[in-house]
Amino acid sequence: MKKLFILTGLLVPAVLFGQLDRSVRPAAAKAPTINIKDSEVFTTETGITVILSENHKLPKVAFNFVMGSDPITEGNKAGLSELAGSLILSGTSARTKDKLDGEKDYIGATLEASESNLYLSCLTKHMNKGLELMSDVFYNANFPESEFDRVKKQNESNLMSAKSDPGTMADNVERKVNFPNHPYGDVMTEESLKNITRDDIVNYYKAIFTTKGSYMVIVGDITKEQATQLVNKYFAKSSGIAPYKQEVGKGEFNKGNRVIFVKKPGAVQSVIQVSFPLDIRTGNQNQLPLTVLNGVFGGGGFGTRLMQNLREDKAYTYGCYSTLNVTEDGSWLSIGGNFRNDVSDSAIAQILFELDRITNGYVTDDELNLTKSSMAGGFSRSLENPQTIARFALNIIKNNLNKDYYQSYLKRLEAINKEDILTMAQQYFTAKNCNIVVVGNEEIVERLKQFDADGKIEFLDAFGNEVKEMKAADITKEELIDKYIYAVTKTTSKKAAAKKLKKIKSVMEETELSMSQIPFPLKNTKVWVAPSTEGQKLEGQGMVLQKSYFDGSAGSSTNMQTGQKELTEKEIAAKKKSVGLFPELNYVSTGMKYELVGIENVDGVDMYVLKWNDGETETFDYYNTKSFMKVKSISIQKDGEETVETTATYSDFKDVNGLLFPHTMTLSVGEVTFSGKTTSITVNGKVDISKFK
Amino acid sequence: MKKTIVTGLLAFVALSTQAQKKIEYVEYDLPNGIHVILHEEHSTPNVAVSILYHVGSKNENPERTGFAHFFEHLLFEGSANIGRGEYSELVEKNGGTLNANTSQDRTYYYEILPSNQLELGLWLESERLLHAKVDNTGIETQRSVVKEEKRQRVDNQPYASFITEMFKRMFTVHPYNWVPIGSMEHLDAAQEEDYVNFYKTFYVPQNATLSIAGDLNIAETKKWIDKYYGSIPKGQAINLFRDFENLSDADFEKRYGIAKSKFDAKDFMNSKNPEAKKLITTMASKPVDIPRPTKDTEKLNGVIKDVVYDNIQLPALFMGYKFPAQTDPDVYALEMMNEVLSGGASSRINKSIVEKKEMATFAFSFNYGLEDAGVGIFAAIAANGVSLDSIQMEFDAQIELMKTELISQEEFEKVRNKIENDLVSSNSSIAGVAENLADNHVYYGSASRVNTQLEGYMKVTREDILRVAKKYLTQDARVILHYLPKETK
Repeated sequence: MKKLFILTGLLVPAVLFGQLDRSVRPAAAKAPTINIKDSEVFTTETGITVILSENHKLPKVAFNFVMGSDPITEGNKAGLSELAGSLILSGTSARTKDKLDGEKDYIGATLEASESNLYLSCLTKHMNKGLELMSDVFYNANFPESEFDRVKKQNESNLMSAKSDPGTMADNVERKVNFPNHPYGDVMTEESLKNITRDDIVNYYKAIFTTKGSYMVIVGDITKEQATQLVNKYFAKSSGIAPYKQEVGKGEFNKGNRVIFVKKPGAVQSVIQVSFPLDIRTGNQNQLPLTVLNGVFGGGGFGTRLMQNLREDKAYTYGCYSTLNVTEDGSWLSIGGNFRNDVSDSAIAQILFELDRITNGYVTDDELNLTKSSMAGGFSRSLENPQTIARFALNIIKNNLNKDYYQSYLKRLEAINKEDILTMAQQYFTAKNCNIVVVGNEEIVERLKQFDADGKIEFLDAFGNEVKEMKAADITKEELIDKYIYAVTKTTSKKAAAKKLKKIKSVMEETELSMSQIPFPLKNTKVWVAPSTEGQKLEGQGMVLQKSYFDGSAGSSTNMQTGQKELTEKEIAAKKKSVGLFPELNYVSTGMKYELVGIENVDGVDMYVLKWNDGETETFDYYNTKSFMKVKSISIQKDGEETVETTATYSDFKDVNGLLFPHTMTLSVGEVTFSGKTTSITVNGKVDISKFK
Repeated sequence: MKKTIVTGLLAFVALSTQAQKKIEYVEYDLPNGIHVILHEEHSTPNVAVSILYHVGSKNENPERTGFAHFFEHLLFEGSANIGRGEYSELVEKNGGTLNANTSQDRTYYYEILPSNQLELGLWLESERLLHAKVDNTGIETQRSVVKEEKRQRVDNQPYASFITEMFKRMFTVHPYNWVPIGSMEHLDAAQEEDYVNFYKTFYVPQNATLSIAGDLNIAETKKWIDKYYGSIPKGQAINLFRDFENLSDADFEKRYGIAKSKFDAKDFMNSKNPEAKKLITTMASKPVDIPRPTKDTEKLNGVIKDVVYDNIQLPALFMGYKFPAQTDPDVYALEMMNEVLSGGASSRINKSIVEKKEMATFAFSFNYGLEDAGVGIFAAIAANGVSLDSIQMEFDAQIELMKTELISQEEFEKVRNKIENDLVSSNSSIAGVAENLADNHVYYGSASRVNTQLEGYMKVTREDILRVAKKYLTQDARVILHYLPKETK
């Protein structure tokens, strides 16, 4: 009693009246232990391993039905799994897609699918209904033809966009070179997409979505009894055969550095990705120290080795990061960023320097501590999402990890020291056996040879496939333009072509542009009035999104967001170089800089490539070597450090008033691709150019 | 056949019990008036530390609008013990995240930290409350930040001014007349003194609710709260202390008639000097007078119709009705009514005006619920060539239907399911729980409403929805705004 009294007597004044030095920042308390409850694991008669993690905090429950199959190697049908995943929720033999969506909405549930799982999340009280839907999809998905066509088309436009996005190009190539003959090296191309049939999808679904070997990961407000009863009720039927299994390799380890170049005409920046495979799989004891090493090296934030050197010190880039990917099927490190053309070689040199440096000395205490505390915080916060717990539980079972693998995460993290980091660097990092992928302007290629072990740079395309070298042209640029004009005007002499063209006083083309992400089509109107007046207008839902006009000496462009802008002196000078219905005819008189680059093989077809530059935009026009029609055009406009690339393709040429006009086109700007159909072409009609001002 | 399926589904849903789980918490007041709410749950080793200051744009001087929001920015500038930019640095370095937001009614600050950094979070927020840096350097920096925010979020966004325009006409007396972003001219015209006074008036213990949720030990947390918050001076004594820290010797003596040297700089509240002691006691006993507007009682007189010209291509229609304050029991039914009208793709407004009749590219309704009043808003962006009057007629037809017929049983069940799911999900994170507890304490007078809110919705009948539609969707008293493209002016 007395003791208690004294204690209180001491405590109270100390807290209420004692002086508090507010400048003292509170120190962290002991690192918390995490409460990741052990999961219940049991197997059903149909071969499903149920992993149950009860969490009664909220009356919600999530079911993640993960297939036990290994990823398939797709070869000439690359993209098959992805396509199948996006089609599974398209309907079942009992429910149309609309019905499935409706019943799902009614109970406020989430139901999603990928190439190897189905996921349901809902209030516990609606789990019966939710599982009924999930079960229907699992057993009875019927892949309607119309949905198959729609999704395939959507992927076609995505691929169009991928071809002009340097980041996607670099990723594609990186996967291909690190993982040849491995599922990770399967990159969807236009050709592989064409090869995929609805039957392939159905077969994939039958082979991969099997009860046997699968995992049902359940997290949330549900008891073991309920879980057992529900899984047995809704997944009682055995489906499919044994899960698909294949031993996949670890990736291809280089001997010596290898430089792979992807041409991006006109680029002012290079995307550089330095990568190599790692001989490690999920759950390996080295995964955590390797992650810390990556954090110090370039895993995020401003304080990393890469950022300090390449951004803060050298100002080569806005950001340079390293990404560590550790998976069950293959692992790799990827280091990269965007760099100005003139520093691309220096940037590679510095990345290799940092790779070398970190294998040759200890990281500092500050570096180590910053990385460790931000990892600890991120890990802790991620636990709030029940899906994190589900992923942990699944990883433990699938990879045979210790039961307390994640439970002890923070402790293990805390124990990592700089000796461990150096060991990891020496074991896994290399500055001498890297794949150096560069997507950029061809003019920098020479300066990259120094990094390649054998001095021979490989050239790959946007999807990581070999490109054939460009052949020299067999005609002159003047001859090409003549032949093009003959083809368009269906004549055989300059005189006849000129005579025909003289009669053309105006042309108005209207095109309907559509894209999968926008439910309504856009209308594009293009006009030309002899000799050198032109206008363009893009409308959607009755709104004018943008318009422009040029009368040969002045003009303006109007954009919905930024309003009207008069053309600048420089823009006018550029415009003046490409006037006329067929500007090619006037290149000599307008002083356009143009050259015939050579013959390039594009998707199996030879094309003449004519490059021209009006001072504002650099454009590559592609003419078929047999028909001489212009079938493709890539324009690159520089906007400071960035470039905006527009790719147009033309086909379906039809005669209108004696001239051939394309009636089908695609248009890609940045990551957006439209497909267009010409709805009308009026020659020599009345044109009110004021509508474009 | 179809009907049986639906009925079957309904029966199934009706059988299910209500899902909400009880959220446990403790709450108490510190002697200086800070209200503390603690929610202990150990599912993850994280903790959310938040302070709600009961000050929003409605507490502003009409000549100094935008202050509440401006302070949300200013108070990240640092404190007597925290350098500029250090707030976020300290939090991030220790594995946490932080943010803040401002409404007409409140300003809210929070950190989410690993639970072993709870003390750090408490200290950071106590520094903001006790003696944040309110000086010209910070004011200048944040002025340009706030102006940029206004340019991006209001001025350059088509139609974004509709709340401003609607509230201006809906409230001519109540300070809901203006919105939180306020006037840049007012911010420019204001002097350092104005900012200091705002801080001294609203950032005081009696106006703060400290809500903490997550992996904490209640006894230990209370101890830390005593340490960092218990020591914050009560009433006007906090401002005496702030002046002691900020004013020169001469200015301080001029204001209080006592020299600064009489106070104990290290242990201010326990200054031994009798004069100093007396002043501290007197100031501590004087509560800070916090100006609060009285609830809105203004009735709309008839239909107010106006045209607003904006940088837009398509005309738009905005209609506003006076709804009750968010604490009014009718609000449950009004929100369910809104779900029927505008909750998701299958709602009445979307189905009729957007999908079937294609009159609008976008149409919706919602309840802008606030402490002193609410506004029911109907909005539509016209499809090309469709007149705003014809859209209004379609809205009116939907409103008429709402006022004359009970909603279908199926619509009713769907709305109940959706509301339940939304409510449950809003308590899925500790940050969400901390905020809900604080909101309910401040606006509804009891944090316990987190556990009874669903009940409030589930009590609503279809008849209630019909009744509130009749009562609040007053066709003869509303604001109708036509947004037209500038060039048509």
